[in-house]
Amino acid sequence: MQALIGTSTRLRSFIQDPRHFQIVFLGGFLTYGVLALGWDSQWMRYATLFGTCVGIQTIFIRWKGIPWSSLKSAVITALGMCLLLQAGSIWTLVFGATVAIAGKFLLRWKGRHIFNPGNLGIAAAVALTGDAWVSPGQWGSGAMLVFLVVASGSIMVLRVGRIDTSVAFLGTFAALVYIRTVWYLGWGADVWWHQLTNGSLLLFTFFMITDPMTTPRSGKARWLWGMGIAVLAFAFSWHFWIHAAPIWALLLGCALNPLIDHLMHGEPFHWVRPAPHAQRTF
Amino acid sequence: MNLRNLLLATLTLSALQSMSFCGFYVAKADATLFNDRSEVILVRDGQRTIITMSNDFKGNVKDFAMVVPVPTVLQQSDIRIVERNVFTALDAYSSPRLVEYWDDNPCQRWEYAESEVQMDMVTSTGKAKVPAMRDANEKDYGVTIEARYAVGEYDILILGAKESNGLKDWLLDNGYKIPNTAHEVLDPYIKSGMKFFVVKVDLQRLQASGYDFLRPIQVRFESEKFMLPIRLGMANSSGVQDMIVYAFTRTGRVECVNYRTVKVPSDKNIPLFAKARFGEFYKDLFAKNWEREGRNAVALEYAWNVTPTWGGMKCDPCVGPPPMPNEFAQAGVDWANDGGGQVFFTRMHVRYGREKFPQDLAFQVTPNTEHFQARYILTHPATGDLTCTAGQDYLEDLFYRRTREMDELYALTGWDLSQERNYMNEVKGKLTPARRNGLEGPYFPSDGPNGNGPNGMLGFVLGLLALLIGAYMLRSRKTASIA
Repeated sequence: MQALIGTSTRLRSFIQDPRHFQIVFLGGFLTYGVLALGWDSQWMRYATLFGTCVGIQTIFIRWKGIPWSSLKSAVITALGMCLLLQAGSIWTLVFGATVAIAGKFLLRWKGRHIFNPGNLGIAAAVALTGDAWVSPGQWGSGAMLVFLVVASGSIMVLRVGRIDTSVAFLGTFAALVYIRTVWYLGWGADVWWHQLTNGSLLLFTFFMITDPMTTPRSGKARWLWGMGIAVLAFAFSWHFWIHAAPIWALLLGCALNPLIDHLMHGEPFHWVRPAPHAQRTF
Repeated sequence: MNLRNLLLATLTLSALQSMSFCGFYVAKADATLFNDRSEVILVRDGQRTIITMSNDFKGNVKDFAMVVPVPTVLQQSDIRIVERNVFTALDAYSSPRLVEYWDDNPCQRWEYAESEVQMDMVTSTGKAKVPAMRDANEKDYGVTIEARYAVGEYDILILGAKESNGLKDWLLDNGYKIPNTAHEVLDPYIKSGMKFFVVKVDLQRLQASGYDFLRPIQVRFESEKFMLPIRLGMANSSGVQDMIVYAFTRTGRVECVNYRTVKVPSDKNIPLFAKARFGEFYKDLFAKNWEREGRNAVALEYAWNVTPTWGGMKCDPCVGPPPMPNEFAQAGVDWANDGGGQVFFTRMHVRYGREKFPQDLAFQVTPNTEHFQARYILTHPATGDLTCTAGQDYLEDLFYRRTREMDELYALTGWDLSQERNYMNEVKGKLTPARRNGLEGPYFPSDGPNGNGPNGMLGFVLGLLALLIGAYMLRSRKTASIA
């Protein structure tokens, strides 16, 4: 009985923190990619990203005296980067992961980091090194994958209260692509569906853009922000023919966050309901 | 382990690795194996794209015509004819290859056998036919002839159109037989601002040229779009078609951005009897892999640095001579011959049909310079007297190795191997009765070790998901009851 109560308490504390869900889901997708989609099992790549993210986070934990539980965020960043970022050399990955984590502590505005860490790391590695890339086609457009990402993603965004951002982004993006592809150009709806069910786009929708730490605090602002990022991503994709457009759109979106938070106020987010003495979260 | 031992171990390992490179190329599975196929050379340098389209049109050349959407109005200097042998050379160099090795006799060292070179090829058959063009008044159709060129044996028009019905009527009235459903596909290209590159053959110039076949046509243009329009070719086809893309860039591999780019299974050990059927082997392997990947992936068959001045190993084993300066020049790899930088060669094989490939193929150039080749390995057994203890140990190992080869062959091709019992029995026959009895019975894969990998994995992930949803609901209920 004692053991049962113990297990139940552990389970409760496990599910209280949405980051645990995120780690399990992202880890599941990585496993799926390696085992089912036949990605190269680049263990060195994964180990480098994990090692760097956790290592840099540890340095900042010791330096700034913040809780060790923030390591979970570093693990999530590492998983996200494993899923998206490809590079020719491990030093490029070290660079990307360092920028991702260090950016969280160094690029701050009123006690809050500005950029989504994984997004910043990926963008920096791709734009600055010339040795990194993102493969938007690596997931394909399978129906099962859509179900998995949408189902797990919905749990995730409901849990952190960011369903508004996902819906605003995906809804706007889907509508714009529909207007262009089906109404304007006259392709069949299956072309639109194929564009929309791209695994990378869905992962982005549910697991990257929804990071509660780098979305606007006000609910209304999040709707507008999600829609704005969709418009940017659409323009980048079809006007400038940029692949992995949502990554660049989110980077710009995050850069605007201090201004948005200044104009539209909202409650700060905490991964776990804060104790009376509120602590800084990373 | 001290530093010296560690160093020794590293040296031994690298010696083993370099030894494994010295195989003999024995056969290739070239593009001619695939009947309903097209071949394209795709060169991408910054915003410039150079596309060379091979022509294996087998009908009466006066019936030949081709319509290709292109992003800009091409100038005459942007269009040229190239020699067909450039395709043959690139295909030969990058096609999937079979390599063979020989085991040493552990009883009688340094015995060696001669290689027997054997090719296995199948010829291809012809394609659709479209009648020649008559003059017509383009103004009535909303169709503009943006340019009109005579290049080699071809008459080329660059058409702009306002709407698909006009273009369709223009093409029909000018003698192009296009399917009724084509306007559905033409419309999106017109609205995307694309022009139409329309080609027919001038018979007199063809005769004067002395060629009895149609040479490949090459076009070059500057555009941010890096894609291949495949939808037009599907308008009159309900089945699937094969396309081999030979891509060249300065930086690294080309990959598809709207479909998965997946390596074909490679570096597999297969039984010796597969050698005589290597062409069939690769065809079946490709088909099975295509099914396994959901029939909507692009297969990567080759990726290698082929820079002329690069000193590294260009292939292992080489199936043909590396591309020559003339072939680079023909293919449009302008920077290759003046030492202008790296040349990276990617070969992709797409089997596409309307159902699983709704979008045109869009590509990106990546900095990925990892080498890849589709390579299959034969290992000949040691010959001579194998009655010594080491020889008998070797035969036992050989039995199990052949078991794995049979498994592999079945997994790759799904072939019925029940007629190949002798492959296992000949090893058993050389073992002493005592050793033979210790082996497992005759081996014939039947239901296959490959199964449905992705689906099995899906089950696992779904199960995990269900568990987490359950945990989440449990937690929500508890929270509600506390509230």
